[in-house]
Amino acid sequence: MERLLLRNVDKENSHTIEVYIKGGGYQALKKALKEMSPEDIIEEVKESGLRGRGGAGFPTGLKWEFAAADVKEPKFFVCNADEGEPCTFKDRVIIEKDPHALIEGMLIGAYATGCRYGYIYLRGEYPIGRKILERAIAEAYEKGFLGENILGTEFSFDLYVHSGAGAYICGEETALIDSLEGRRGEPRIKPPFPVNAGYLWQPTVVNNVETLANIPLIIERGGKWYSQIGSPDCPGPKLYAVSGKVKRPGVYELPMGTPLREIIYEHAGGIVGDRKLKAVFPGGASSCVLTPEEIDVPMDFPSLAKAGTMLGSGAVMVLDETDCIVKAALRLIEFFRHESCGKCVPCREGTDWLVRIVRRIEEGQGTEDDLDVILSVSETMENSFCGLGMAAHNPVASTVKKFREEFLKHIKLGRCPFRSGQ
Amino acid sequence: MTLEEFREKVRELKNSGKYPVARSYILPALWIAEKNFPAITHEVMKVVAEELGVKPVEVEEVAEFYAMFHTKPKGKYVIRVCTNLSCMLCGGEGILAKFSDLLGISPGETTEDGLFTLEVSECMGLCDGAPAVTVNEERFLKVTSEKVPEILRKFGWKG
Ligand SMILES: NC(=O)C1=CN([C@@H]2O[C@H](COP(=O)(O)OP(=O)(O)OC[C@H]3O[C@@H](n4cnc5c(N)ncnc54)[C@H](O)[C@@H]3O)[C@@H](O)[C@H]2O)C=CC1
Ligand SMILES: Cc1cc2nc3c(=O)[nH]c(=O)nc-3n(C[C@H](O)[C@H](O)[C@H](O)COP(=O)(O)O)c2cc1C
Ligand code: SF4
Ligand code: FES
Repeated sequence: MERLLLRNVDKENSHTIEVYIKGGGYQALKKALKEMSPEDIIEEVKESGLRGRGGAGFPTGLKWEFAAADVKEPKFFVCNADEGEPCTFKDRVIIEKDPHALIEGMLIGAYATGCRYGYIYLRGEYPIGRKILERAIAEAYEKGFLGENILGTEFSFDLYVHSGAGAYICGEETALIDSLEGRRGEPRIKPPFPVNAGYLWQPTVVNNVETLANIPLIIERGGKWYSQIGSPDCPGPKLYAVSGKVKRPGVYELPMGTPLREIIYEHAGGIVGDRKLKAVFPGGASSCVLTPEEIDVPMDFPSLAKAGTMLGSGAVMVLDETDCIVKAALRLIEFFRHESCGKCVPCREGTDWLVRIVRRIEEGQGTEDDLDVILSVSETMENSFCGLGMAAHNPVASTVKKFREEFLKHIKLGRCPFRSGQ
Repeated sequence: MTLEEFREKVRELKNSGKYPVARSYILPALWIAEKNFPAITHEVMKVVAEELGVKPVEVEEVAEFYAMFHTKPKGKYVIRVCTNLSCMLCGGEGILAKFSDLLGISPGETTEDGLFTLEVSECMGLCDGAPAVTVNEERFLKVTSEKVPEILRKFGWKG
């Protein structure tokens, strides 16, 4: 497939505005501002079928339509560059190698929705990305793509980087907004959605980095063209971040709906040492595990949901036959316990219980009853306040269900039969 | 940086017009403090609160919440070793143990000479280079135990 999202990343100095413009950059912005009305843009994005790449897959055109319809002023446009989901590093590639694609996408989105100010909420763990983005923003101001009366039109837009400081929950859009307001990140109740009541309770569009990087392409070549790439019911190119026990870990751009098997064995080069595949988390730490028998699934939102898991951030985490599934589940639930904001009981207590029980099993002190307790705690956590708690139990509950034998082996042996990380 | 110089920086920040409300400057102000002081102390928080016109406790809440802000003194170099899943599968725990061994400190501690603080990190988005380590803002990828002393020497370790 022609590289679309990654079309620039291998060029020398791809992060500079000169290189970006030379490759046709900011033409989409010109077209949008000079030839299209905000309504035209929203129609084009709706026609493209683009769905949010932050993980939930909400239709981007629809989100923009809601935001455009709200008349409160001012409105804000926020790029979610928190990329906190373990083993997700796709947005990093755009931020560091093609920051202007992101800025151009934001500009078009802001014009379409009537937003006057923008923030890129960047995770604190990306200091290099921060420097690159700040430089790119300065370049865009210099060329007149940011600021007052952009390209001689009525449209004005100011853009800033806001650095997070190490909190996974701040990737959840309402917690992100709290953090932008200078608070601890704690999720707010939805609805109202940010498009109506976001930053300072004003209309705020929140979109993921990869979502926005698609926008210039859609404006340049048309929504209809875009809608014919990949899966018909959720089209487009997709960035898959593959890591763990594969020969070539990295970010791969493939049509949405590429089978998981192809991603692991063809693009990522197969399993390290040609060992046997044991398990895959197809969509980050919050997704349910898949077994080697289940990897023919197309990697898109509806297909993975049908397979009982989710596409999420598109982070493919691969375990081989020498890795202990209990230990993997333990490490992931430890992460969620650490990151739970503590606001609601099912998540705060649930993650703590799961860590204690899974650790007990990994250390050989577990009992068979523990497995039932895990599943019942997991059920309770479905009632958590936000997406963190609702998904945190997935890696544990799904491994208990699909790798029950391995949990039982720990219990019977009274120790871990594996040693991971060899 | 002295507290007065810091106060000046926060004033400059506030005059940048980046946000419509003063409160939003709390995180950027704390980032300046994090980079220029060994710890974000109560004195530092007080300066932020005074300049931004918010209560000291509102600043403290924020400083305590975020993992990358140090309210206890940290070393000149903060070593972060990722042990999240992909790094763990590729040997991250062994790398952490090696650092801990060579420096003679446990994760969360600082060496006596104030040079290094060792921290266990959650995923830093460098999983294609697992196991990953950062020292302040510098990245080290596909780290092996053998490379650990080399990394430390680069930052003035005499061991
Ligand atoms: N990229 C990453 O690092 C991470 C991604 N995630 C993903 O996040 C997902 C959950 O995200 P949430 O924001 O909680 O999902 P959500 O379904 O509540 O919202 C998705 C988006 O659609 C918007 N939306 C939904 N219904 C709307 C309506 N009726 N009107 C206007 N806007 C509406 C929301 O504002 C949001 O921007 C999970 O599926 C997970 O995969 C989770 C952790 C980290
Ligand atoms: C706990 C949690 C963490 C999240 N972290 C991120 C993140 O790091 N990056 C991101 O883009 N979306 C993240 N999301 C999803 C956002 O809430 C939101 O759906 C997304 O930014 C919307 O953008 P999109 O429609 O372009 O996907 C997270 C959601 C939850 C529940
Ligand atoms: S589910 Fe977890 S992270 Fe979300 S509000 Fe509840 S405690 Fe906080
Ligand atoms: S798991 Fe270590 S950097 Fe992502």
